[in-house]
Amino acid sequence: MQVAACVKWVDLRPEVDRVHGTVRSVGGPGGAGWGISEADRAAVEVALQLGAVWSAPVAVVCAGPVGAEPVLRELLAAGVDRVVRVDTGADQPSHAAAVELAAVLSAGQLGADVVVCGDHSADRGSGTVPAFLAHHLGAAQALGLVRVEPVAGGRVRAVRRLDGGRREVLEAAVPMVLSVEGSVAELRRAPLAATLASGGREVEVRPGRPAHHVEPPRTRPWRPPPRVVPAPAGDHALDRVVQLTGALVERNPPRTVELAPAAAAREILDQLRTWGYLGADGE
Amino acid sequence: MSAGTYPEISFEARMGSVEFRIDEDRAHITVDDTKCRDCSTRGCITACPANLFVPTADGGILFNYEQCFECGTCYLVCNREGAITWTYPEGGHGVVFHRT
Amino acid sequence: MPDVDAIVVGAGPAGAAAALELARAGRSVYLLERGPFPGSKNMYGGVVYGRILDTLVPGWWDEAPVQRWVTRRATMIMTGHQALTVDFRTESWGRPPYNGATAYRPDFDAWLAGKATDAGAVLVTSTTATGLLRDGDRVVGVRTDRPDGDLTADVVIACDGVNSFLAKEAGLYPHTDPANFTVGVKETIALPREVIDERFGVRGDHGVDYEIVGCTGDVPGGGFLYTNTDTLSVGLVLSLPALAAGGTRPEELLRRMKEHPAIAPLVEGGEVKEYSAHVIPEAGYDMMPELSCDGMLVAGDAAAMCLAAGIWLEGVNFAIGSGAAAGRAAARALQRGDTSNEGLAGYRSRLESSFVLADHRKLRDAPHLVMSDLAQRQLPGLACGVAERMFRVDNPEPKPGLRRILRQELKRNGVKVRDVVSHSLRALRTFG
Ligand SMILES: Cc1cc2nc3c(=O)[nH]c(=O)nc-3n(C[C@H](O)[C@H](O)[C@H](O)COP(=O)(O)OP(=O)(O)OC[C@H]3O[C@@H](n4cnc5c(N)ncnc54)[C@H](O)[C@@H]3O)c2cc1C
Ligand code: SF4
Ligand code: SF4
Repeated sequence: MQVAACVKWVDLRPEVDRVHGTVRSVGGPGGAGWGISEADRAAVEVALQLGAVWSAPVAVVCAGPVGAEPVLRELLAAGVDRVVRVDTGADQPSHAAAVELAAVLSAGQLGADVVVCGDHSADRGSGTVPAFLAHHLGAAQALGLVRVEPVAGGRVRAVRRLDGGRREVLEAAVPMVLSVEGSVAELRRAPLAATLASGGREVEVRPGRPAHHVEPPRTRPWRPPPRVVPAPAGDHALDRVVQLTGALVERNPPRTVELAPAAAAREILDQLRTWGYLGADGE
Repeated sequence: MSAGTYPEISFEARMGSVEFRIDEDRAHITVDDTKCRDCSTRGCITACPANLFVPTADGGILFNYEQCFECGTCYLVCNREGAITWTYPEGGHGVVFHRT
Repeated sequence: MPDVDAIVVGAGPAGAAAALELARAGRSVYLLERGPFPGSKNMYGGVVYGRILDTLVPGWWDEAPVQRWVTRRATMIMTGHQALTVDFRTESWGRPPYNGATAYRPDFDAWLAGKATDAGAVLVTSTTATGLLRDGDRVVGVRTDRPDGDLTADVVIACDGVNSFLAKEAGLYPHTDPANFTVGVKETIALPREVIDERFGVRGDHGVDYEIVGCTGDVPGGGFLYTNTDTLSVGLVLSLPALAAGGTRPEELLRRMKEHPAIAPLVEGGEVKEYSAHVIPEAGYDMMPELSCDGMLVAGDAAAMCLAAGIWLEGVNFAIGSGAAAGRAAARALQRGDTSNEGLAGYRSRLESSFVLADHRKLRDAPHLVMSDLAQRQLPGLACGVAERMFRVDNPEPKPGLRRILRQELKRNGVKVRDVVSHSLRALRTFG
């Protein structure tokens, strides 16, 4: 069995533009405030705990630049057996990072049976890397966990946060990808001797894919497909404007429904179909 | 701009501009407020720049360590031996400055 | 056998300089820092005076993380509605070798600690030294808060800042009288770079340094305002006993200073990016502790080597100077195999002959002078009053003579000539 955790090297306190929601690093990439998030640290601790119960080695994989290495060495000091850094830039899109990570975690290389990630990174990450990973590795996924307990034979019992304060208890088995919230566990403190020795320990480096393979970032915001709106009719400009803006037209007020998750999903799909965002077959 | 119209931020927003990596397990400063009841100066209340000392109706002090600058003002001004137990937080925890 | 030749506690400017000198002398040295990175726990007003770096890091100005070079230095004396400013500028401070620079401490301290690690020192972050290890009276190491965290060394250098629990534990530092301390609070306020250039009349990477007297209401102290690239550092330094005696709270005093008609146009419209606070050892030479004992040296703020009086707000330069001296003295002592108090005595003599103790001895009275009621309230009132009367055009009334203005303003501000004379004489002795 091989246990692995994935961590992202990020600005832990980026500046978020209040109007546009864009995220910017104050000191530029690699400033003093960069590190790994609370959730990622919790992921490493969970991996260490699973490794201890299952007597399995624990590896940490990080896709990031060389500046991340001091922080990665701290993880070696805390008890991780090996650390692999995929040599990439700091600001990879999630899907590209997941491809890099999956290549290292896959059977050909580390052969990780369990991968633990933080739920989403501190720089307003979307939390999608674990899902991408599960896809690439063909593994089960249990995401956004607030508790993880190992049970025998490579299985875990986990608790997941749902909307409205509900909790879901689930059991997963290897191969699996877990993502955990920061509150799940606090990363153990590295002993002093291991900390002092960590400066000399090796972080294995794998080349990242050359930059031109990485998809260019989207330059415009995504919008739903346009619908054709007929030109307004009317003799007076005012009539046309009123018609165009729909100011005086009666409209459906927003609806709030409370349903079980499956029924809620169905309801949402129906509504999207009604509005014309989905085809009749749900594509 | 004339006096009084400067848009001042709330104290919460002020403290919200500071990063604190809170140690959930241990309070690095504790206040034994049985000692505060006969304290005549109560210097901590006005002096603590993070405004963490809150007087209670029964003459005690309510203290929360989480948003602390670790500056030392409180133990320096406190005039009751043993009222404040002051240590640094565990390494890596507590306040983290960025543009200071 | 101890684990290492030397342990330096605290990766502030003092600690980084000490570790740098030890590493350069070929000694093994651990530099312990309780924050997640050097500088993460440190705040100050905002100007580093770099002359001390000339020998330590030649060419430092090309690589240090500087915000702006100070080419304008102003001292502002204010009352509730008046301000009198002495404003000096020189372009020569804007080119090598420069004079002062604004910088953020998390950047600056990390840079200087990086110099020490480049030279071979081992930086250990997120690690708090919680106490001293002793063998009888001799300091033989430190205890840290990591598991199995004891660490032994031939010499320990305490550069752990103003609260120095290590110097206190060693019995070197008995002072906890709040009268010896001030607390500084500051806001880092963001403004576009061009707006700062325009408001402060500077261009490119040039910047401004304001020290302000008379802006702290019922609490003795002073204010400061510095320009960074795209932020301002605006803050106050406040006397602890007066704050504790029910004075106005720090953030309220800061708000009032920012509302003063002389300051408001400079800061308005900016967004507060960070608030911070830190204590300053204020009393200078007279509160300095013993600087060494068997196996240990104390440097920087831990030894109260900070000059915070009126137009001076300096400490980083003294910290670097004393830290480097401690590092060199420790390296010599290690070489001779004697790190007892006598073996380390070279430290004190190095400091005595350098600017570190020379300046402090010379200015030992300055803090008392600056914090006195005369300097805090009466003189600002007097100076501003005289200036207003001098500059006011009263015709058709004939212009009053300066002597008459002075007499009237002395009276109005309740200033006794006798006090001014004795104050001036003391000031002359101190500053002259
Ligand atoms: C409001 C204010 C304004 C100032 N303005 C200026 C100015 O404009 N210019 C100027 O030159 N000076 C200024 N100073 C003074 C200057 O900041 C200090 O004199 C200087 O920082 C002292 O350096 P130091 O290395 O001795 O201590 P510090 O900078 O305080 O560094 C001490 C280090 O030790 C670490 N530490 C403490 N205890 C432990 C422990 N137990 N274990 C591990 N690590 C520990 C701390 O985290 C810190 O990094 C100002 C100070 C204040 C408060
Ligand atoms: S000054 Fe000390 S004793 Fe007095 S109220 Fe504050 S904490 Fe209590
Ligand atoms: S150390 Fe400073 S910020 Fe923290 S509680 Fe004491 S006075 Fe307040």
